[in-house]
Amino acid sequence: MNPGPLSYFLVSAFGVGAVVSGWLVFRTDSMLRAAYWLMVSFVAVGAMLIVLDAQFLGLILILMMSGEMTIMAIFMILFMMNPAGLNPMTMVHQHRTSIIAGVGSFVVLAFVGVVAEFPDRPVPAGDATVALGEELLGRSMLVFESAGVALLAVMIGAIALAAKQGRFGDAYDGSQEPSIDVETEDRS
Amino acid sequence: MTTLSILVQVAALLTGGAYVLVVTDRLMSSTGGVRSALVYPVRRLSFLLLQPATTTERPDFEAWILGPALLMALAAVGAVAIPVAGPSAGGDIHAGLVLFGAAMLIVLVAVFIFGWGPNSVFPMIGGYRMAAMVLSVGIPFSLVVLTTAIPAESLSVGMIVEAQSSLWFVVVQPLGLPIYLVTAAAIAFWGPFDLPEGADLAGGVVAEASGLRLAMWRFARAALLVTLSLMGQAVFLGGYLGPILPGWAWTIVKTLVLLVLLALAGRTMARMRVQTFVWFGWVVLLPLALVDVFVSGWLAL
Repeated sequence: MNPGPLSYFLVSAFGVGAVVSGWLVFRTDSMLRAAYWLMVSFVAVGAMLIVLDAQFLGLILILMMSGEMTIMAIFMILFMMNPAGLNPMTMVHQHRTSIIAGVGSFVVLAFVGVVAEFPDRPVPAGDATVALGEELLGRSMLVFESAGVALLAVMIGAIALAAKQGRFGDAYDGSQEPSIDVETEDRS
Repeated sequence: MTTLSILVQVAALLTGGAYVLVVTDRLMSSTGGVRSALVYPVRRLSFLLLQPATTTERPDFEAWILGPALLMALAAVGAVAIPVAGPSAGGDIHAGLVLFGAAMLIVLVAVFIFGWGPNSVFPMIGGYRMAAMVLSVGIPFSLVVLTTAIPAESLSVGMIVEAQSSLWFVVVQPLGLPIYLVTAAAIAFWGPFDLPEGADLAGGVVAEASGLRLAMWRFARAALLVTLSLMGQAVFLGGYLGPILPGWAWTIVKTLVLLVLLALAGRTMARMRVQTFVWFGWVVLLPLALVDVFVSGWLAL
């Protein structure tokens, strides 16, 4: 499929959107807004992938971000000076180190982007999701299956932690309110 | 099908479905009779639109506005992925199932920012409850929805409906629909799982909302339930397939069956505490959903 002017426009627009919302992460004064600006940035990257005819990859990226960013927002709010309110706080600190790290990584990435020779393989005609599946279970099978087994182990571990008689005792008991007859036992 | 006609179709489906849902819910909860229940949605909407909107001290105004708008948009985006009348009419998105899943999981973000927005304690606790609930059922929800793609060998909802021409997936994957309905009710914070809006929190995420804002929020939540019912009938009950009646009529009938089922469950089943629900999601629903995936994969080999 030959990209038309609309595709070029959409990819550029979403690209600019991703950069601007990434910048806004550090310009806002609220932990919640910072977390969700980051999510907007990722959603814009996902939208770029969709325009580039990788629907599945783009949508799965967006799907993953919603839960992750909320978990991140909750942890960030926990670390706020006043976790209960909307008190403004600054998102930037250690200015000198941040500037050096930011400029350094920009130079390295820009150098790679300009110098590296990217593969120029057009997307195969037909369903890009099928092509992706063949790639995952064909040439790159070992890599992805190793990652898949590792993730499965993590899932089983999470279930083991959460399940009945896990490391921290019975999960169901923990989900119930404490029994009310504790005090009467103390008295007797 | 043009973009405009898809938009009109989605708007009509969501509005009509929301009306049926509110009427059914009203019939269950009031003794006013059928006539009063039929006009209740209009009466309630006019009341809310005339009600002056209150505000709070230093709210996060943009987040508070964005909550209902985002919830409504997500319900509409999810509905776009579902073919209503037949194989070629709309819903021809390659990865429609993933689009729907992504939209439904972002509902969490809409509820969380709506709870955060008013800068008030009860709505914020409601938002946290929603996070605990959705993070516990998000994986089983996605798993049972994506499992329907295994026998169909496609992520397009239209192809999944076509694959049910001989037998509906509610029979092939008996675990699918029950897990789907439970998790869908939790994602729409509806019925036995409406604790983010719980009465024990003085209304939770809507405690500070009134007027237009509350009307939009209620409508978006009802539209979300319609979208979830639409997808439920498409992937488990054969969608537009059926004898005699045209495709769109079957879609509407099956959607209304699931919608009324959810409305009845919302008023008849006992609520579950959030802590117990988190246990239920991880210890009961997730292993059952994995069994569903393994059995369906085995059968599809």
